[in-house]
Amino acid sequence: MISNSRLSNITAPVQHPTTALQIDQLKLSIQGQPILHEISLSLPTSGITALIGPSGAGKSSLLHCINLLQQAWQGEITLHQKSIRQWPGGDEKLRRHIGLVAQKPTVFPTTIYRNVVFGIDGFWQRRNAHAIAEQALRQAALWGEVKDRLHAPAASLSLGQQQRLCLARALAIKPKLLLLDEPTASLDPKSKQLIEQALSQLASHIPLLLVSHNLEQAQRLGEQVIFMCEGKVIEQADCDTFFNHPQRVESKEFLRWAVCECD
Amino acid sequence: MLRLFIHSSAWLSFSGLLLLSGFLLYASWPIFSEQGLYFIAESEWYPYEDLFGMLPALFGSLLSVGVALLIALPLGVAAALFNIEIVPSCLQPWLRLLMELMAGIPSVVYGLMGLWLLVPFLEQQLDLLTGRTLLAAALLLSVMVLPTIMVLSEDALRKVADDQRQRANALGLSWWAVVQRILLPQAWPGIRLATLLSLGRAMGETVAVMLVIGSIDRLPEPLYNLLQPAQSLTSRIGREMGEASVGSPHWSALMSSGLLLMLMSVAVVLLSQRRWFK
Repeated sequence: MISNSRLSNITAPVQHPTTALQIDQLKLSIQGQPILHEISLSLPTSGITALIGPSGAGKSSLLHCINLLQQAWQGEITLHQKSIRQWPGGDEKLRRHIGLVAQKPTVFPTTIYRNVVFGIDGFWQRRNAHAIAEQALRQAALWGEVKDRLHAPAASLSLGQQQRLCLARALAIKPKLLLLDEPTASLDPKSKQLIEQALSQLASHIPLLLVSHNLEQAQRLGEQVIFMCEGKVIEQADCDTFFNHPQRVESKEFLRWAVCECD
Repeated sequence: MLRLFIHSSAWLSFSGLLLLSGFLLYASWPIFSEQGLYFIAESEWYPYEDLFGMLPALFGSLLSVGVALLIALPLGVAAALFNIEIVPSCLQPWLRLLMELMAGIPSVVYGLMGLWLLVPFLEQQLDLLTGRTLLAAALLLSVMVLPTIMVLSEDALRKVADDQRQRANALGLSWWAVVQRILLPQAWPGIRLATLLSLGRAMGETVAVMLVIGSIDRLPEPLYNLLQPAQSLTSRIGREMGEASVGSPHWSALMSSGLLLMLMSVAVVLLSQRRWFK
């Protein structure tokens, strides 16, 4: 096992002039089983940060901690210098600032349009729902395919289109941070490409935390990379450094063999 | 052999239904041939004068069942939501077991409880001459169908996929918004089925209703007045069948009440078929 003192040196977050998300000493245990060990990392105000690591590394659990779907953690998470535990208006208001796109596209059993505006709240937003929906669908590279059938059932879309619809739904709430849990894992190459293009464009104005098992995708899209293994952040570095000159032995092994042993 | 057994069972059940319908139609034919269908819309029921107006009992049945469902449906769905969303998971099976036990209690026990507790309570609280009223029947029926609605609604709500709920939570929707926009719309087919099954049970309920409805053959004045004694089809059959001689017009009129009840039940079953709602 890596000692805590050694870990704190390794996992010291990369400093950015402006930080959107800051996580310090995050610990999570579920039913006595430790899932995350003293995670510390930071995300800049824009760009894609790829979160990679083997299955069971705690990547999805980390995402769920960030938007408080998982609340049994200790430590500190701040979004734009505000603690998410003391977010004004509580958990629900916080989640309106953090979009989440999961691996499996889950559309609600209603129309395409209603799916996009599902999370829209507030008087002015509802009045402008159509414009917001159009913008979100354009950002998700789906507008051209659905603009003439916005009131068709969402389930009639292909899997790739459904995933882009989920992305549009997450974007319609105007998030300050977008969490993506392997959003292209179950999609065909065309859909994958469309989603990657959409993400690249989005990354110019909001920070994206992208969980991916696909190292090529992480290299292609990520500006920085966080490598996790067995609930610990092993290395956080900019993309070129991580893929060309990884610092940690575990990182080198993972890049070479796609396996990781932290012990 | 198994195939033969399955086929003959199916045909036996089907022919049972036809036989029952045929028997009821045969038994009530004399009253139909003598008075046509008009007596269904008449309000005078004096068997010794050959007046067999069905309207008060039909109206009493429909109003008591309608009010019972208006009370039981929101309570049953709320109880199901409470058990799924609020009650700690270790206690959930116990609450459900309690509801299942309630559903299995014989209706005469509910009737006795209604007679002992509900009727005097209504008399005292509402200052009535008698607590045996349409309201008593409706309240008692609502208690009787509540467990069915709760248990079936709970099943329907549990079938809503967890990932749908989680996605809605991730969008920052409040608990109530998730219930209103995800859980209830998706569980609606199951809740509708629970309602129609309960409607069937409430409509056919005899003994409990007979003990608390007051058994007076007249329409309430005004029609929405629930605080007057009234009559229901089942209660009338239960009360008078022993007195009517077989083959008499009275007997035939009571049989026609049974036929009417059966037609209403068939209508409920047909309504519960999902394809009508597509």
